Amino acid sequence: MGAKTTKAIEPPKWANRFLEWFCSADQLEILQGDLYETFQFRLAKSGPLRARLLFIKDVFDLMRPFAFKRKRSYSSNNRAMLKNYFKISYRNFLSQKIYSLINISGLAIGLACFLLIYLYVQDELSYDSMHSKADRTYRVLELFESDGVGEHSASNPFGVGPTLINDYPHLIESMVRLFNFQAPVLSLKNPENNREFNESRLFLADSTLFDVFDFEMLVGNKETALDGPNSIILTESLAYKYFGDDDPLGKQLIFQGEQPLLVNGIMADAPLNSHFQFDAMISYSTIKHFVPASWMARFYWNPNWTYITLHDNSLKAELETQLIPYKDKYFPEDKREHISLQLQPLLDIHLHSNLDYEIQANGSASNIYVFSTIALFVLFIASINFINLSTARATKRAKEVGIRKTLGSKKSQLVKQFIFESLLYTFSAMLLAILAVLLILPFFNVFTEKAITLVTLLDIQFIIAALVTMVSVGLISGIYPALVLSSFDPVKVLKGGHLKSKGFSFRKVLVTIQFAISILLIVGTIMAVKQLDLLQDNNLGFDKEQVIMVPIMRTPIGENFETIRQEMLKLKDIQYVTAVEEIVGAKNQVGMYHFEGMEVGQPFPRLSMRHDFLETFGMELISGRNYSEDFETDDEEALLINETLARQMGWTNEEAIGKYHLRSRDRRGKVVGVVKDFNYASKHQPISSLVMDLSLSPSSFRLFIKYMAIRVSGQNINESLGELERVWKDFIPDRPFQYFFLDSRLAESYKAEEKLSLLTAIFAGLAILVACLGLFGLATFTTEQRSKEIGIRKVLGIKGGQIIGLLSKDFMRLILLAILITVPATYFLVNSWLDGFAYRVSLEIMPFVIATITVLTIAFVTVAYQALRAVSINPVRILKDE
Amino acid sequence: MKVTNLGEFEELVLLVIGALNDDAYSISIQQELREQTGRSPSIGAMHSALNRLENKGFINSHEGGATKERGGRRKRFYQITAAGKSALSKNHELRSGLIKLIPGMNTQTGLG
Repeated sequence: MGAKTTKAIEPPKWANRFLEWFCSADQLEILQGDLYETFQFRLAKSGPLRARLLFIKDVFDLMRPFAFKRKRSYSSNNRAMLKNYFKISYRNFLSQKIYSLINISGLAIGLACFLLIYLYVQDELSYDSMHSKADRTYRVLELFESDGVGEHSASNPFGVGPTLINDYPHLIESMVRLFNFQAPVLSLKNPENNREFNESRLFLADSTLFDVFDFEMLVGNKETALDGPNSIILTESLAYKYFGDDDPLGKQLIFQGEQPLLVNGIMADAPLNSHFQFDAMISYSTIKHFVPASWMARFYWNPNWTYITLHDNSLKAELETQLIPYKDKYFPEDKREHISLQLQPLLDIHLHSNLDYEIQANGSASNIYVFSTIALFVLFIASINFINLSTARATKRAKEVGIRKTLGSKKSQLVKQFIFESLLYTFSAMLLAILAVLLILPFFNVFTEKAITLVTLLDIQFIIAALVTMVSVGLISGIYPALVLSSFDPVKVLKGGHLKSKGFSFRKVLVTIQFAISILLIVGTIMAVKQLDLLQDNNLGFDKEQVIMVPIMRTPIGENFETIRQEMLKLKDIQYVTAVEEIVGAKNQVGMYHFEGMEVGQPFPRLSMRHDFLETFGMELISGRNYSEDFETDDEEALLINETLARQMGWTNEEAIGKYHLRSRDRRGKVVGVVKDFNYASKHQPISSLVMDLSLSPSSFRLFIKYMAIRVSGQNINESLGELERVWKDFIPDRPFQYFFLDSRLAESYKAEEKLSLLTAIFAGLAILVACLGLFGLATFTTEQRSKEIGIRKVLGIKGGQIIGLLSKDFMRLILLAILITVPATYFLVNSWLDGFAYRVSLEIMPFVIATITVLTIAFVTVAYQALRAVSINPVRILKDE
Repeated sequence: MKVTNLGEFEELVLLVIGALNDDAYSISIQQELREQTGRSPSIGAMHSALNRLENKGFINSHEGGATKERGGRRKRFYQITAAGKSALSKNHELRSGLIKLIPGMNTQTGLG
């Protein structure tokens, strides 16, 4: 090139760069030289433009096989290379056993948690999806509400199903009703062998059951099995329970002690991921023996779960608009304006439905979100560990990288090697995780009451998910260390210059995130447990201990209730006996009441009961009087209300006494007493108004009084139970005596929260364990790295305590930073979860303090352990080793 | 690569390398070809042929002689090998033998 006086004319740079890109290194210099020489020649001969154009042409002309970069030459060596990767990975594993084990097991724990939760969530999402028409099947809901009080019923009056399909055949393809009297139990008996049980999962179902749902029929004809009255289809398990190994088909079972039913078919057991579980289906027409036609014609009582399948999903909107004129046509005048009918997609029921009179308690979408979040957190923490430990180990392998580079390894090869190693580790972790999942699954199933099988693991979706998880974790975890390691300058490394790994600040960020998440999980767990305690605590406003509940609805107890009660009261240890409509503290019904000062009647939450209700449940009367057997008119005229109702009407507790209510158009009754508020439904909802209605008529046992409630005193409950059963058998010999304890039943209604908090605790614990593993590994590493420094300091007279301080200072700083970051985030997240509860604990500073101290302690102990080891090492040993 | 055939262009290049003796590198070969035959192959075509010849063992190469107009890059010089020479003479014999068989061709003149 000439001097700088005249600007030299150069060939186009981009063409040159393009040449450098595609041309192999051993050809490049010569070819480039030829091109430049020709360019100079042409420049002198024909000027710059032509020279440049010809240069470009020549570059493209050079795109010939001989000039290309050769990849081919490595391929013959690929297998040897892979073998070498394996060997190096294996040796590396052996030479750094602790790191490697921490690395793999941490990741395995993370992956196992992730997989388990994945399976759980998959199962929850799969509810009711086994029905081929599930996407166009809906449940009809009846909302009966005024001023925010009332019932949101999952079930409807008898007539809704038939009139709907009759009026809108162009919209609705098929319809089925399920009915069980909303009785807690119904009895079945095999007269041949006298096997008799109370069954809680029997339904009367329309013959169209199989048009809507795809339940599997094993024996018998789906089309006709439920056609005539007095037929029953049993599930396999129930058939075995009553008939053993005999063939039940064509045999008889006695329903409710009176009605013979013909076994017309055998079904497969209800799939566990169906939102209603059943043991048998009885033909709906059998209802004629139990419910008078006049009741069924009225649109009042609403115990029928009604499912409809539309011809096409697009018809949903049209049907919804039709439901308004529909309800005005059929529902009685006084209810009409408070009622609205809605369609609930079948697939939404399990996760999103929480109505009154659900067939059984559903799952909850918020649980799914909580679990998914935890799963991601655990996986995230485990991946962070993996990245941290790998980059930390990087410096140890710097020499290896240096030598590899000197021997001609390219950066891309090194990256490949490290990613390969990281994938190998991830893969081993995945295998371990799957093994762990296989081992844990049976226990997990018992705990979650699910039937997640090993077959689910063979599901293509699962395999893809597993592979994607594995590869992405491997790549994410491997790519950073791979890049850091492969960019080491071999000269520096080999000269033994001190390697200031650039990764450390990045690693600090990761450790901070890890601790932030750990703190979030600890606080979340503490709050979940506290919330559960609040829901379960004894402060319900009544005494749930020592109360025996006996399901009595639709038993022949009605005529004899008073006699039986008196007999029971004669027994030792039996204090009070009453009967009540629902399980107090779990559920209520709704009735229309018209109090003084109201224009029209309105729906109010209601419990019907008999005498001694307040005494049995230990409730407190605030003003007025209790129902009394001395006032014969109480049944017809008197009402007890709760404080909230009085407040809602604008009455003080004293003013409320004597206010009238309309029993019917021209009959008035009076409020006689106000009862202190108690949680009659559940703590999922706030206490609202309540009417406690005395109902002495024997027929009430056929319709709404569902339980006898007995308060016992003393320790010998078993003896009391024996005597109670004897009395029961004296009067109702042909029905089994079945009972449960109120407190244990109530505890079950908080089962979802209990499970959530336990699972949260377990998974959070694992996450923290994984985080500790990571910290342990990192602390070990830093200590080792600074061993010379410590050696010198020891020679100069540093004390043990100071060494601990020296080593833990860095980590403590990170944890404090994590706390600063995590507190607002945690506050927000946990608060929004708690907001979903009517009764919620308030989020105070304590859990944060506890979490902080926990994390700090764990971190300190981990680091201190390493520091102590460093303290006990003889400095001479470290320092002479050069 | 056991193919020892000489292509027509390859043969020309090989002849020029032999003729240029110690000064044979791509550009000088290219110039000599242009002067002798009037053909002006591109750099790509030149190197393609040179690579083939080298792979067949007809020429050797060594690097050197960086110049200013090459931007300080070295040249690759080529020398004809013994195998190259024998391939050339084999070709020559084949052709002169065949040409004698053509009636009316004077074999003493023409190819020299």
